[in-house]
Amino acid sequence: MSLSYRIAYVFLRNLYSYKRFVLPTFLVSLIEPLFYLITFGVGMGAYMGAFGGKPYLHFLVPGVLASAAMMSSSFECLYGTYVKIVHEKVYDSLIATPVSADEAVAGDIAWGSFRGLISGFLMMVVALFMGVAPAAPWRAVLLIVFMVFIGILFGSLAMIVTSIAPSFDFFSYYTELVMTPMLFFSGVFFPLDNFPGWMKVLAEFLPLTHAVRISRTLFTGEPAAGIGGSLAVLVAMAAIVFTVSIRMMRKRLIK
Amino acid sequence: MATLVTASGLTKRYGDLVAVAGIDFEIREGECFGFLGPNGAGKTTTVRMIHCVSPVTSGTLLVGGMPSGIGNRALKMITGVIPQEINLDIDLTVAENLIIFARFFDIGRREAKARIAELLRFVELEAKAKAKISDLSTGMKRRLLIARALINRPRLIVADEPTTGLDPQARHLIWQRLRQLKTEGATLVLTTQYMEEAQQLCDRIVVMYQGRILKEGTPARLVEEEIGREVVEIRTPPEDDARILGHVAGFDCAHERVGDTLYFYCRDGHGLMKRLLELDLPNTLNRPATLEDVFLKLTGRSLHE
Repeated sequence: MSLSYRIAYVFLRNLYSYKRFVLPTFLVSLIEPLFYLITFGVGMGAYMGAFGGKPYLHFLVPGVLASAAMMSSSFECLYGTYVKIVHEKVYDSLIATPVSADEAVAGDIAWGSFRGLISGFLMMVVALFMGVAPAAPWRAVLLIVFMVFIGILFGSLAMIVTSIAPSFDFFSYYTELVMTPMLFFSGVFFPLDNFPGWMKVLAEFLPLTHAVRISRTLFTGEPAAGIGGSLAVLVAMAAIVFTVSIRMMRKRLIK
Repeated sequence: MATLVTASGLTKRYGDLVAVAGIDFEIREGECFGFLGPNGAGKTTTVRMIHCVSPVTSGTLLVGGMPSGIGNRALKMITGVIPQEINLDIDLTVAENLIIFARFFDIGRREAKARIAELLRFVELEAKAKAKISDLSTGMKRRLLIARALINRPRLIVADEPTTGLDPQARHLIWQRLRQLKTEGATLVLTTQYMEEAQQLCDRIVVMYQGRILKEGTPARLVEEEIGREVVEIRTPPEDDARILGHVAGFDCAHERVGDTLYFYCRDGHGLMKRLLELDLPNTLNRPATLEDVFLKLTGRSLHE
């Protein structure tokens, strides 16, 4: 793989482009978490009573943090990257410079991760205003680092989909058949404890399950069972997915 | 003159399709070298291999003594690319497009600022520095592509059909700029379908067709060798051919019937013209032979789609 400091140049290019869209994307990133927190957290939470001794919102926030980072980074590496390849031809001009295709892709994954972080961070701020804060202030820092990590993981995963996407429509398969179901089977909105055994096993194959588990532990400071395993699974997965995404994108970009 | 680019047996295959079928050529330092050919001839594929964005399938391709290749950053550092497709960054302003490109080439901030001011002047876009790309005309966009290609002060400039879709003013401005770059010492590699462009800019050209090089030489010599000096065109139905040809028998001119026109290719069209006037034909033209005649002769007159 041909990766160097030039990844930062690609990130910088995205930052320049982002300047014009900061406000709308901030609004979108804010409205989506508010939606979840108000409808599920406040609305539904009112019927749910105490959840492990605390209001439901406390259970919900760490899960939604992880899923928000996943959503934003995925969408950026699906639609954002696709537009840059097919419509704006940004990649064409990039790879004719000393920046390699690998760096262009890695830069976009880093960018997707940053967008994920913004979403997750905004969510954390909103939650703070609703009275839900991490167990200790330094935990917020760990959560930020973790969100960057899951952004890289899910951004790379999305990049694999983009590398073989013939058109925009193709992304619906991934968002509707993979991402949305994952959102409901990964313990974001409710614990997996009451699932039948086979569903629990299935959930362990979903990266978001592990991400949510870690996020919740980091947030609440209450270690969950299997947390070390989850971290190991995610790190291994991120390494594989990142490598594969760069290789597959190389196939798409270099002809 | 030293050689900058050497290709031998250069081949590019996409699956079963052979885009470039084992060609040989040399591009000398400081010259303008043109690839001519109809759509799908392999021109763009060839120059994409020269500027290291497309891997060579087989054969060798040396640029500045180094083998060309996707990972060859050293070559990309000294190359400027004016692409066929306008791939400016539409999310960025005119100046930002250049700022970002300067970063890609590791050019420091202060140096970049100076170069950008100079380049915007060079392509007459100083007033548009803060403009959005969507507010530029096609001519301005093409000029900005040139400025962008020059940000790294390239030794080798690859221009892939740089004036496609431009009006005559814009085209001539770009030609002037490209000639200026050549006088400043850059080596220019050009692909084009416009014969006038090749004649205006190129020291040497190759005519490509179906992945092969058909002819190589200076534009003037190719015209002279392939066509002669002059062309006489007569727009007349084919039924007249026998009568006309009989009347001008004895002249040392090749002839060709294409659709509604009968062509004569001559060293000197004068005598033939005089003779033809006796027939009092309605639509006869005597003109100098051009590269376009060479092009059509070599690559045929059918459509290439």
